[in-house]
Amino acid sequence: MRLLLVEDNRDLADWLARTLRQANYVVDVVHDGEDAEHALAVGEHALVILDLALPKLGGLDVLKRLRARGNSVPVIVLTANASLDNRVRGLNAGADDYLAKPFEIEELEARIRAQIRRASNRTEPVASCGDLSFDSNTRLFKLGEDVLALTPREHAVLEQLFIKAGHTVSKGALSSAVYDFETDADPSAIEIYVHRVRKKLEGARVRIVTLRGLGYLLKAEA
Amino acid sequence: MTPAEGAGPARKPTRKPRSRLDLPGSRSLRLQLLSWVVVPLIGLVAVNLWTSSRSAFATANLVTDRVLLGSARTIAEQVTMTEGVLDATVPPAAIEMFDTGDRDSVYYRVETAEGRLLTGYPDLPIPPEQAKAGTEAVYRDRMLRLRSYSHPIFGAGKDSPIRVTVGVTLSGRDALERHLWVSSFAQQVALVVIAGILVLIGLRRGLAPLLKLRDAVRSRGKADLAPIDVPEAQTEIRPLIDALNAYMDRVRAQMAAQRRFVANAAHQLRTPLALLSTQAAYAQREIGADARGEALAAIQASTRRLARLAEQLLTLSRAEPGSRRPRADRIDLADACREVLERLAPIAVDRGIDLGLEAEDGVGVVGDATMLKEMIANLVDNALRYGRPGGSVAVEVCARKEMAVLTVTDDGPGIPEAEREHVFERFYRISETGAEGSGIGLAIVREVADNAGGKIVLSDGVSGGLCVEVSLPLAAG
Repeated sequence: MRLLLVEDNRDLADWLARTLRQANYVVDVVHDGEDAEHALAVGEHALVILDLALPKLGGLDVLKRLRARGNSVPVIVLTANASLDNRVRGLNAGADDYLAKPFEIEELEARIRAQIRRASNRTEPVASCGDLSFDSNTRLFKLGEDVLALTPREHAVLEQLFIKAGHTVSKGALSSAVYDFETDADPSAIEIYVHRVRKKLEGARVRIVTLRGLGYLLKAEA
Repeated sequence: MTPAEGAGPARKPTRKPRSRLDLPGSRSLRLQLLSWVVVPLIGLVAVNLWTSSRSAFATANLVTDRVLLGSARTIAEQVTMTEGVLDATVPPAAIEMFDTGDRDSVYYRVETAEGRLLTGYPDLPIPPEQAKAGTEAVYRDRMLRLRSYSHPIFGAGKDSPIRVTVGVTLSGRDALERHLWVSSFAQQVALVVIAGILVLIGLRRGLAPLLKLRDAVRSRGKADLAPIDVPEAQTEIRPLIDALNAYMDRVRAQMAAQRRFVANAAHQLRTPLALLSTQAAYAQREIGADARGEALAAIQASTRRLARLAEQLLTLSRAEPGSRRPRADRIDLADACREVLERLAPIAVDRGIDLGLEAEDGVGVVGDATMLKEMIANLVDNALRYGRPGGSVAVEVCARKEMAVLTVTDDGPGIPEAEREHVFERFYRISETGAEGSGIGLAIVREVADNAGGKIVLSDGVSGGLCVEVSLPLAAG
């Protein structure tokens, strides 16, 4: 699950990203409105966390332009100015949710999960494929009753496949879900991560199918 | 009538508790105005009563004299020559004239020109020949008013003219005088009372707008600073209302500024608090000792920055006009700089910055010493924070013309021309810098420089950084 964090206070951006990465999110961080524009045009993010007070291009403008392009990615606005007027303006500009600083990280995470659940039309926090299940609240995979231990990259690969379970996920789509902007994407490394995940799923009633030239597919076995 | 009776508490216009306007005493406008009218009036009445008592006395005497004269004439006319003998018979009418119910005694004496007594009291005193009016004399232990009348008797020869002297005791005259005086006194007292009442009514009507203004001010809510309007106020009271409204305008502006400041300050604290909370959450979840240690160190740094921010906010609110009593300390700018630089030296050492001071001695300025030092500290702190690590920051103090000039130069990225006018605004931050400034330092500098009557110029430093030049009026002597 890849998120875009737009926040001009570098310390806050840095520590927020670290904390979200702890929870197995892939996080891209940008510090101003223009960079946010570029990131949104290029990356495929599942959700955007947007500060409104941004240099160069204000958060509200970023939001308006995003919606004008027809992009419906969930946006949670983060701001120090949480007056009623400001909240209304933010929501009118196309924000899906609003969080005032200072906030508890638990609340931000809960709102992120809620937005992603809504975007993927799921109502239950726990989804399963075969005997593999994923709890979007704890952000943990389980095989039967046992927690599946995964590195962040392995988690990102499996999560992407899990979301699209039963459908083909191209190698490109997989790598864009796994790598943030800071990392040089190495498509061949994806194969390594897929291989490792596949090994961890051995013996389970779910497996990753390789479709040569097309990509991968997570499939439950009868 | 004493003033206290004239405008006592009983005449309060409202039932509300007493205010200054109601207090009986020298502060009561109504009482003052009333006494200005009534006291002179009473003086006038006193003078008037004195003159009217004189005139009552004169009138009573005149009337008595006429009656005396009339009585004497009546007696004289009854004196007849009968067969060569003068016959004087006093008619009762001549005596009854004096019957005014005051039990006066009447004495008479009729005598010939040669002094032969015809009838009456031989020892009754005779007024002097030339007396034009009645005279008074004591007779039988009582005061009498006397009048003589000479009447020629035809055919009486040497006996003509006869002289008739009539005297009367003074009860009737005194009663008349009293009567005249008392009625005049009653009229005048009535005049004063009516005038006092009219003054009170006039004052009450005239002061009504003032009292209404008082009630309007008193009945206000604590936060209500809307302009007051008393439509019926006279032109004399208008300026007072206008002044009051102007004053409330100023208070309102001050309060709005204060509110803005507090809102801004609260706003300013939100991001650092969010950071702190995030760092704490991270540390809590992290299992690795190293990562935890790193997070805790970061929390400490964030706390320090927050503390500094709070301190700066406090300084800024102190630098606001009106928040501190104005001070006029005389400080030596070089000494102040030395003191500040010693305090900030550790930061310079941390960042490997060469911090230098070049100061002329005896450059004195006048102002609030604490705030001036705070200003210098903010300038130098800014230079150290935004300057190039391992670079240099130069502080200079010199006297130029009538001004004391303080210059702080760094070799950091400087401030783009377009942003220079904004950097003094509160909470403004330059977009390019990565450093975590609060956007308050330069606002403090400007506020302090303004208060001390100085000005600030930003320019490019020699080696590309920022040069801040603060000029303050040089202290005399």
